Amino acid sequence: MVLSYRPVSYADALSILTKVPVTIIAGGTDLMVKKRSWSNLAPTFDGDVMFVGHLEEISYIKKLEKSNQKRIHIGATITLEELLYHKDTPEILRQALGVMASPAIRHTATLAGNIGNASPAGDSLPVLYILNAIVVLASSSGERQVPIEDFILGPGKTAINSDEMIKEIIIDDCNFGTVYYKKVGGRKADAISKVCFAGCGSKVDGQITDMRVAFGAVGPTVVRVRSLEEACVNAHRALQLSVSEKPSEDGLVEPSKVNFDQGDESSNSIAREQLDSETVKKFADYVRPIDDQRSNAIYRKQIALNLLKDFITKL
Amino acid sequence: MSDISRSINKVDNDEKITGKAVYIDDIKLENMLYAKTVRAEITSGTIIGRHYPEMPTDYHIVDYLDIPGNNYVKIIFEDMPVFVKDKVGYYGEPIALVVGPDKQVILDIISQIVFEYDAIAPIYDYVDSVIHYDYEKGVGEAVFEPANRVIEYTYETGYQEHVYIEPQGVIGDTDGDKISVYGSIQCPYYVKNALINTLGMDEKKVRVVQTTTGGAFGGKEEFPSLIACQVAVAVKKIGKPIKLIYNRVEDMAYTTKRHPSTIRMEAAIDEQNNILGFRAHVSLDGGANIGLSSVVLQRAMIAATGVYNINNLAISGDVYRTNTVPTGAFRGFGAPQMIFAVEMFIHHIAKELGIDPLILRNKYMAKQGDSTSTSGHFRDPIIMKDMIARAKELADYDHKIKLYGEHMPTKDMPGIGMSWFLHGCGFTGSGEQKHIKAVVRLHKDVGDIVTVLVAAVDMGQGIKTTMRKLVAHVLELPIEQVIMHNPDTDLVPDSGPTVASRTLMIVGALVSQAAEKLKENWLAGKEQIFEEKYKQPKYIQWDEESFQGNAYPGYSWGVNIVEVAVSPVTYEVTLKGTWSVYDVGKAIDERIIMGQADGGLLQGISYGMLEVMENKDGMVQQKTVTDYIIPTASDTVNMITELMDNPFELGPFGAKGAGELTLIGGAPAVALAIENAIGKSVTKIPVTPEYIMSLIEGE
Repeated sequence: MVLSYRPVSYADALSILTKVPVTIIAGGTDLMVKKRSWSNLAPTFDGDVMFVGHLEEISYIKKLEKSNQKRIHIGATITLEELLYHKDTPEILRQALGVMASPAIRHTATLAGNIGNASPAGDSLPVLYILNAIVVLASSSGERQVPIEDFILGPGKTAINSDEMIKEIIIDDCNFGTVYYKKVGGRKADAISKVCFAGCGSKVDGQITDMRVAFGAVGPTVVRVRSLEEACVNAHRALQLSVSEKPSEDGLVEPSKVNFDQGDESSNSIAREQLDSETVKKFADYVRPIDDQRSNAIYRKQIALNLLKDFITKL
Repeated sequence: MSDISRSINKVDNDEKITGKAVYIDDIKLENMLYAKTVRAEITSGTIIGRHYPEMPTDYHIVDYLDIPGNNYVKIIFEDMPVFVKDKVGYYGEPIALVVGPDKQVILDIISQIVFEYDAIAPIYDYVDSVIHYDYEKGVGEAVFEPANRVIEYTYETGYQEHVYIEPQGVIGDTDGDKISVYGSIQCPYYVKNALINTLGMDEKKVRVVQTTTGGAFGGKEEFPSLIACQVAVAVKKIGKPIKLIYNRVEDMAYTTKRHPSTIRMEAAIDEQNNILGFRAHVSLDGGANIGLSSVVLQRAMIAATGVYNINNLAISGDVYRTNTVPTGAFRGFGAPQMIFAVEMFIHHIAKELGIDPLILRNKYMAKQGDSTSTSGHFRDPIIMKDMIARAKELADYDHKIKLYGEHMPTKDMPGIGMSWFLHGCGFTGSGEQKHIKAVVRLHKDVGDIVTVLVAAVDMGQGIKTTMRKLVAHVLELPIEQVIMHNPDTDLVPDSGPTVASRTLMIVGALVSQAAEKLKENWLAGKEQIFEEKYKQPKYIQWDEESFQGNAYPGYSWGVNIVEVAVSPVTYEVTLKGTWSVYDVGKAIDERIIMGQADGGLLQGISYGMLEVMENKDGMVQQKTVTDYIIPTASDTVNMITELMDNPFELGPFGAKGAGELTLIGGAPAVALAIENAIGKSVTKIPVTPEYIMSLIEGE
């Protein structure tokens, strides 16, 4: 016999968690499909369930500043549709939400649910990885903060304990000069990703200062390689310096001057292209997709790298 | 009298928009039991042991032992069992039903059933031919001897799943004497004849009623006969009403689909770059049972020249049995595969010869009086020249075709493609006369209300509206005074199945004739009945053995132009525009034809670029609407469509078939657009981003 709990408050939800192990359902758009049975029969949950989608206390979007860092706190029961149209939602997350599922699903699905489901093809996940998302887990004995890459362990596997629930997700609120999100699905809406890519970056005085990229549906979890991001930023800086040495000794580049010298510009762009190709090549080792009913590994890998290349070119 | 083409509200708008329409799963009869199918878990082999658990009271297992009549579904061949006796032909083949009042108990019983099998190596390749045909035109094969060169291409097409909104379902019931089956079906009399055969009962003791049907696309032509027979056998055994409804996964994995095909085309070319003749071979994957595959193969082979007049032909084809789910009827019925191959081939020939494809196509475009592929004649006016000119004008084709194809790798690659196609309306050859023998009836009651008595079903295509409209126009009555119900075989004569773009053109013509007679003999306030029977037009002379003669009474024609943009980063294809012109004789209701046009073209384009269905170890891999990709509203564009009147002498008010025509040109048009965009020869559909990548990167 499966029991369904509908807590009257957030505190009540936490207290239920201390007593019984339950599957937590917010929007139910993944679980109810996964557990569906013959029509008019109860879904096939093998344990008790707790519905939390109605809990008002954890339905919020707040912008908070802590030690000079602005961060956005997204409550666990905020729906994707609410988040999509909220003024504080970062542009790259908005882009991801806009191509997720269908309006009907977005009206009930939650960001917390997309994380808890831990699908390799979760469309919000690459964005959350590059926004350094922190998953806040709550239990009656307190809260703990887990970075998303430590929270999601594999397909459907997370670091949540049986007495915990996701309370909120905290993400960076940064302004990027370039944001790039691309979901490649079988169709333009209501699809599961074949491959998905998120990239963002900023430049100061023509110099790349920040570059973050993440890939979805190319491995058991989202792929983000911070060391390669740093290496790429550093390599660009080095390239910039070596180019700028020619027109001006003090390292300042006057764009008009560079443009006059066609030879320099083309050798610069060749060097840049070479650098970008090397960056793409380095990432290639980390992109290890599989064949399945939606696409094949060769396509997924090639397109993931094409998207990276396209992003870097536009950066 | 107003122009009959002027649109009226579809008569079923209200009940469908408000949700009042009663579909099969909405019906609950008193004491009704539920049934679920128990399926084979091997792809090929024999059942050597059956272990059924002890049955609780009121629960039953129904299998081959319960069949009073013949254990095959009456279609054409006797090769599809109602329930597997011993030989398993495909994974998921139905072995038994578990029937009872509580669904959970049924599931528990099924989980305890064990079969022992002797599995043998399955066949998936095209090696086991079960049907072979060939035919020639002109000098046939011999034309290849004097040829200066031979151009050969092989084309491949994949599965297509119908994805009707309402899955398959039937309910069986009995009053102890007679067995009735209600269902979401296209062909009440096909089901009835199958029931008579399997139940071994007199035709008067079997009744079939169509319930409001949520889409069919051919998928409810022959398949429902299988589940109707299963449920009827169960009803006969148990004596209570029984409902069997497929869920989506079951429906996608285990019901019929469009035949995958491999089509080899060869053209004999002389020194002046004339096409002397074609040689072609069509391979169809029939799945585990032949079903309707022989007729599908005939239509594919007859379409071997598309809209072109080619003097010499040597066409052959085979249906291969494989250990996969049986394939069957689907809108277009073999023509979409062949028209794809022909339209690509004529372009590829032009490319090889260094000729503008349009010049080559125009040179061979069939004209009135020309001979058909089967040495019959195009008797009626062909207005394709005007249709093509208009479609090109709407699409700005001549301008775009010059511009596109010179893509810059950093930008989306634009491409435009145009397909020309035709569809023979009605059954192939003498099918109407020899097999169908349609009968229609009009009944006028004392209140002067006229009821159309035909076995044709409305599956969303609007036949209830157009039939009533035809009769109302002939009789000059308001449409409310003409009635048409869902067919019940106890009440309507056998006017044939609702298939093959025949319903309005052939059944509608008979209904019109009956209406004319009623009009001439109208007696106000008196009950009157008028009946009409199909008479084959004299010009239809068809030799089934040699494929010679007029294969169809008439043809509908179409032009599709499709524009796309291909992403150089992801190779995704975005639809940019479609422009179409159709000749369906005369539209009986313009908006209904426009609905067919938009839906058919989108289904055709989607067949050409989106819909991937694959078998792995004999199992369908894409069996949910999540994984099997049909287009959403976001994937489509505002489709521009125009109709050109070209009244057909034998059709009611000049109408010809329209249901299948609109699907046929979609795949070649979009494939040609993609070919134009990427500058590579496309030889298979669907043209997925994965395939596009392999074409571009494969250089």
